[in-house]
Amino acid sequence: MGSNSSGDKGTRNLVIGMISFIVVVGVVFSLISNRSSSTAAVPATVSEADGYGIVLNPESTPTIDVYVDYQCVACKYFEIINGGYLNEVIAQKKAKVVVHPLSFIGPESVLAANAVACAADENEFVDMNLALFQNQADQSNTGKWSKEYLAQLGKSIGITSSNFESCVNEGKYVRWTSNVATASGKADVNSTPTVFVNGKALDREAGEYGDLAKFRAALAAGGVK
Amino acid sequence: MQDKFKLYQPWLTLLARLGLGGVLLAAGGLKIGNLQKSAMSVRAYEMLPVGLANFLGFVLPWIEIGMGLLLIVGVAVSIVGLLGALTMLAFVVAIAQAWARGLSIDCGCFGGGGEIAPEETKYLSTILRDIGFLLLGVYLYYFPKGKFGLDK
Repeated sequence: MGSNSSGDKGTRNLVIGMISFIVVVGVVFSLISNRSSSTAAVPATVSEADGYGIVLNPESTPTIDVYVDYQCVACKYFEIINGGYLNEVIAQKKAKVVVHPLSFIGPESVLAANAVACAADENEFVDMNLALFQNQADQSNTGKWSKEYLAQLGKSIGITSSNFESCVNEGKYVRWTSNVATASGKADVNSTPTVFVNGKALDREAGEYGDLAKFRAALAAGGVK
Repeated sequence: MQDKFKLYQPWLTLLARLGLGGVLLAAGGLKIGNLQKSAMSVRAYEMLPVGLANFLGFVLPWIEIGMGLLLIVGVAVSIVGLLGALTMLAFVVAIAQAWARGLSIDCGCFGGGGEIAPEETKYLSTILRDIGFLLLGVYLYYFPKGKFGLDK
């Protein structure tokens, strides 16, 4: 113990105080900013009851929930393998399909989710969904998916309304993507793609994501005729 | 031998502080940019109720940062060393149970996380690494006084 031990003690307590403050502020900020926002703008078909997912065929049964991240490579393969059949199910109203675009891979996932929500408002969800997967970059967050790029992508598949363009460019539904993420957490979704048929998750180990025949069988077992 | 340890102990404490503190700070810092992913990686261990797992996913990165900073500046080294060791023990238990139950997940130690393909799992190397950091924490609990620390 030196003669200046009381000064050392003061410095020590100050440092402990500062670091504790950082931790507490960080925790509080994180918990608040990751709660669902009731004031976020949401696409027309979206409701809290459906986990903030984009709803196609609200009147049909059974319900198929699909969780994807547009930058997820496994989701692209899921789309290639099963997307055609799923789009047929949507087109023929054989099920209520709820798509939850997650954004845990990063900022370009947020922009893509926003863009597909803007397309959903124009009744162009299915085409935009496909276009995003077809134009997925080789790696995540490369800068490929800018707002301008996504607006142009929509235009190239025939979404020409000025509402769509401004929706993409303004990032109208960016805050909504946090609500989707928070709801997916409550639904215990831990990877993408994840599909639930009437609340029952498909079996990854049994190949129900990677094999069209097994995917169809799983949907049929859930009541998709 | 005894004298030699006395000579080197404060330097070893410094190295242990920077090692454990540095890894905790990095682990926390890399997670705070994507807390939804952090929550997802805690959920993927399938150990805790979903609500608690999400809470831990948001809170843990900040705790790691706090412990890391305290160790690096050398404040409350003994108690933080012990807490760090207990944190590492919890990680080892969590990874071991995931391995034993046949889950295929990324540990999510430095961001990342969630379910992955079975052949991409790295359970053994992660457990060994965390045991190494656990030992650093135990060392700091017993020998907290080191070079360039604020603790006197």
